[in-house]
Amino acid sequence: MPRPVSAIRLAALALALGGTALTVDAVRAQPAAALPDWSGVWAMQGPTVFDGATVRPPDGRTGQPGVREFPPYNEEWEAIYRRNIELVREGNFPDPISVCGVPHGFPRIMNVPDVYEFAVTRDAVYILAENGPGIMRIYTDGRTHPPAEELWPTYTGASIGHWEGDTLVFSTISLKGASGNDVIVDRTGLVLSDSSRATTRMRKLDDSTIEAQMTIEDDKALTRPWQVTKRYSKQPRGTWAWDYSCGENNRNPVSASGKTLTLGPDGKPLDRVTE
Amino acid sequence: MRSTKIMTTLLAACAVLVAPPPLAAHHSAAMFDDTKVVELSGTVKALQWTNPHVWLQVMVEDQGRATEWSFEGGSPNSLSRQGWRSTTFKPGDVVTVRLRPMKDGTAAGQFIGAKFDADGHTVGRWE
Repeated sequence: MPRPVSAIRLAALALALGGTALTVDAVRAQPAAALPDWSGVWAMQGPTVFDGATVRPPDGRTGQPGVREFPPYNEEWEAIYRRNIELVREGNFPDPISVCGVPHGFPRIMNVPDVYEFAVTRDAVYILAENGPGIMRIYTDGRTHPPAEELWPTYTGASIGHWEGDTLVFSTISLKGASGNDVIVDRTGLVLSDSSRATTRMRKLDDSTIEAQMTIEDDKALTRPWQVTKRYSKQPRGTWAWDYSCGENNRNPVSASGKTLTLGPDGKPLDRVTE
Repeated sequence: MRSTKIMTTLLAACAVLVAPPPLAAHHSAAMFDDTKVVELSGTVKALQWTNPHVWLQVMVEDQGRATEWSFEGGSPNSLSRQGWRSTTFKPGDVVTVRLRPMKDGTAAGQFIGAKFDADGHTVGRWE
């Protein structure tokens, strides 16, 4: 695969050719062929356990009582996680996305079922998750993160990135985390704080595999950086991704007390005890 | 409606061993008893081919009384990629459905697979 030509090399080339000054736009205008081909439809490998490297039991699935991972939580956030694990055991850990319209947020958007598309353009990379649906924007046009006074915590935060050869390296800040009680990392009860941020290295390992290595830091919740790797497999050529609207027929709303209900076809709860 | 019979086969004793992993859902699956697999026979009333989950509505008759059961499947998106169509189940089809029941005993469950009485073909997981 052709490697992107760095700005420094372009500038050096221009100087060697007669000292022509390169504008920023000219530097950014790399030929499309220099960008990697991440076209097609992809699906995450494995279950929706966020950190498959530490999950116990090793075959544990999210939502099963007692299943947990081992992020480097400090004492306070380990206690929060343990409380969430108990809520899962009691069946009282609702998934925020059951409230239709609430996005997965980052890093969970890297850990969802159904399929993905990765749109690589000159100025940005878009991660499109069918489930949710979810959109993650990573600007690669050379901009920096906005100043603090222009930011507010959001579900997927603010991401800027650049290419190191065929590897997209992006930084994500300004995340809501669990501050609004509507973002989780997975259904074992994993959460991060609104101080969380991440550096992600994403590349195509081979024609059928894309890998994302996330290094997550969180001054409030973690004692050291937490590295998690997710991989995605290319689906057969011609696979379709479809529209996904949670609100089309959501028969599993969350009650005021946090119980996930099951509605009948008439829209009334089937559950014998609703609160 | 054709008379149907309830054929509840509780496999609780061995369900932990035979139950396949739950389908991906957009909500907590805490309401389903994943230690049990149940089979019910009935007549399809409707297939709601909608996101975030398809719902198969089946009328199940027991001792002369018909009850409408709701079986939750995956998203139409993922199911269509597995070969399902919006017409996979049609009103009037007589089927046996394999499911994980609700813990509270209400007439609903998580769809695992189905076998059609007419020709014996199956949909979903039916090993």
